[in-house]
Parts: sequence; structure tokens; C-alpha cells
Amino acid sequence: MPDFPPARIVLAKVGLDGHDRGIKVVARALRDAGLHVIYAGLWQTPEAVVRTVADEDADWLGLSLLSGAHMTLVPRVLQLLREAGLKDVGVLVGGIIPEVDVPKLMDMGVARVFGPGTAMADIVAFLRPRSESTHA
Amino acid sequence: MLDALLQRFRQHDRLALSRLLSLVSRGENRDEILAAVGAPSKPSRVVALTGAGGVGKSTLIGKLIEHYRGKGQTVAVLACDPQSPLSGGALLGDRFRMPVQPDEGVFIRSLAAVSGRGAVADHLAAMVRVLEAFGFDIILIETAGAGQGDTAAHELADVLVLLLQPEAGDDLQWEKAGVMEVADVVAVHKADLPGAERAAGQVRSALDLVMGGELVPVVRVSSRSGDGVAELAQTIDARPLRRHARAADAEDLIRRAQETVAVRVAALQRARSEPLNRLLVEWQKGSVPPGEAANALLRILADAEANRADRTQSGVTQV
Repeated sequence: MPDFPPARIVLAKVGLDGHDRGIKVVARALRDAGLHVIYAGLWQTPEAVVRTVADEDADWLGLSLLSGAHMTLVPRVLQLLREAGLKDVGVLVGGIIPEVDVPKLMDMGVARVFGPGTAMADIVAFLRPRSESTHA
Repeated sequence: MLDALLQRFRQHDRLALSRLLSLVSRGENRDEILAAVGAPSKPSRVVALTGAGGVGKSTLIGKLIEHYRGKGQTVAVLACDPQSPLSGGALLGDRFRMPVQPDEGVFIRSLAAVSGRGAVADHLAAMVRVLEAFGFDIILIETAGAGQGDTAAHELADVLVLLLQPEAGDDLQWEKAGVMEVADVVAVHKADLPGAERAAGQVRSALDLVMGGELVPVVRVSSRSGDGVAELAQTIDARPLRRHARAADAEDLIRRAQETVAVRVAALQRARSEPLNRLLVEWQKGSVPPGEAANALLRILADAEANRADRTQSGVTQV
């Protein structure tokens, strides 16, 4: 086991999208990679997600969207995070995100978008070095 | 950094509370933080809910939050789930079952509990004190799924509620030693299912065999229908605040003194106290025996305190 405190990541689905298989698989993989995963679950409002990130003092927020509403909901979450003084929290987006929207989301401040077919190892590799340096 | 956080905490900044809880949960600056947040203006009611995994602790806590919020009381939750002994990772899925809209009066923190430590996270008592100083009326502790012998939550709380469910065993189960002996309230959860009445009856008769002492209340409650939630809350509220009822013993005083020492040493270090610095250098070289070093440290602290008192009296602004 690592000797630095495990990174804390909130995983949530925002909006009216009931597809939670993907986010649960990711939650499990991150658990096995040694992260502390706070599973907030389905049908979250942007306000509720940001409150969760604040109260849980999370290092990361992972949002899963398969509804097509990502260009509405993700900017809203990013804005609320900034307003709450949480701009240092890294935001990941997963799910069905058309390629054309990926650079737009990254420009808004999303750290990374993971689409279908992403290997778990890639997500873990993306999170791990940053988590270590945060607590070095 | 820490001073700024503590300052914001005193101004009731919720993000500062969150950051301080993280530090305390890792044991970082714990004593200094506890001493700085000070005693609560009024004690919180600290209620621990324990029971096997799947018995409905998180769901019931969601209902209790609604109940207490409905009465205008503020609620903090410390929800524990197990940490992997293999990876150190954890899947903290308690708040998922506590459907609460963002509410200034509700604070929920998920925590990983290392296995073999009584199904509670480390430093939980310290986290309770921070939440209490912030002013929450009710602090709910949820243990990770716990077994018959997991009694650690008893020490942390004013009231320990043990959750059971129907069809969880025959009447011999309730005669066994362990958590059944230290529960202040027993809740038979999922009481909308068949067998709840029988389970409650068996538990009742097992608990009634205790010689002396008062009877432990047994409440039937269903989160699905909401039946019994108000009754459970009333039963919880009727219990005395055990943590405060306990006569303070010498150990408590020693613990407070340790915290005070830690805070003052940290303050002197920040002020780059020369005598302290010299002592620490000697200590790190190993050139001063432990007992002597400890006495020297206490003298340095006493001198610093005396100087500070002089300065305060002569009207110099306190640092």
C-alpha cells in the first residue's frame, strides 16, 4: 500500500440519465487502485455535486454523462466549483461525449475526457502521479 | 496556512471545516486543531448507528436527517465504509443512500475504516469534537458493516443504536455477548417485512434478562414506509448525553494538557523561539535524556507563558 494519503474522488451522474453501469465499473477499478471513491450516484444536480465535493474535501470529481446534456451540465458544475472556491479540484468526464465536444470541454477546464473503450489502467495512470505529487 | 484555516473555521466557513476534518482524519496537527477549535458552546448529541452490512444504516440515517431537519436541528454525519486491506482503496457509498438536497444544515463526510479497528475510521473522536465546535446539534456516526464484537462506536457516542433486521438469526443470537450488551437503543429495521415483530420480541426478552440497570428500548422502524422513524428519534433524544455524564477522569485532564503542550510548542516554533530551538537540536542529536528533555520543554513553555502574561498586562498586543 502507498504511504501517502489516498486521493479522494467523488463520482457522480448529473441530470436525468439512469445509466450507471459504467460509473460503477470505474468506481470499482479506482477502489482497487487504492483511491478513496465517494460514490454519489444518479440524478444529481450540479449544486448537489459541488456540495458533495466541498464536504468530502475531494481532490477529484468524475462526472459520467450518457444523456447528451454534457455541454449544459458540465459548464454549470465547473462554474459552481469556481464559485465555491474549489477550482483546484480536477474534473474528469466520462460517458458518451462526441469527439467534437472534447476540446470544448477541455477549454472550459475539464482535466480529461474518457470515452467508451478507455482502459481502466489509463484512468488510473492519469490519476496516480497527480495524487502522489499533491501529497508529496 | 493552518492559522488561516482556523480563522475561517471560527467565522463558520464550511470549506475550512471540511479541510480541518481532513487533517484531523489523517492525524495531522490533530492536537493543535482540537485545542484551537476549543470547547463547544453547547454539546452536540452524538449518535452512533451500527449493525451488519446491508441492514440499512445509511438509509435510516437519511430518514433521521429529514426528521431532525424538520425540527430545525442541524445534522453532521460521519459515515464509515471499509478500506481495502489489499489496495488501501475504498468505495464509500453511504451518502448515495442519504438523498439530501444541498442544505446548510446538513454536512456529510465519508470515511474509510481500516479493518480490525471496530468498524470505525481512525481519529473519529477528534472529528466529532471539530464538528461539535462548529455547532451541529446532532452528529450521526455510521459504522462500517459491523459484527457482534465491534463495540468501538460505544465509546465515541452519547447513544449507540444497534440495527437488526428480521430473519437475521434465531433467539440465541440475541443472548450473545458483545455489541448487544453496550447498545443503548435497539432498532429492528425493515419492520415492514414479515418477522419484524418476532425479532423485536426475541430481542426484548433477551435484553430483559439483564440484572439491574434500566431496560434498553427496542424500536421497530421502517425506512420504506417511514413508520417508527419519529419514535426512534424520540427514543434517541430521551437518552442522556453519555459522553458528558461520565465523570471527567484524570486521563481526560492529561489528554487536554497534551493538546495544550502541542499547541504551545507549535506556536513557539512559529515564533522561532531560541530556547526551544536549542532544545530540539539537542534532542535530535540524542544528547539529552528523555526525562530531562521533557522537563526542559515544560520549563520553556512555562517561561514563554509567563512572558506573554507580562506583555498582556503591560498592554502590548497579544500575538
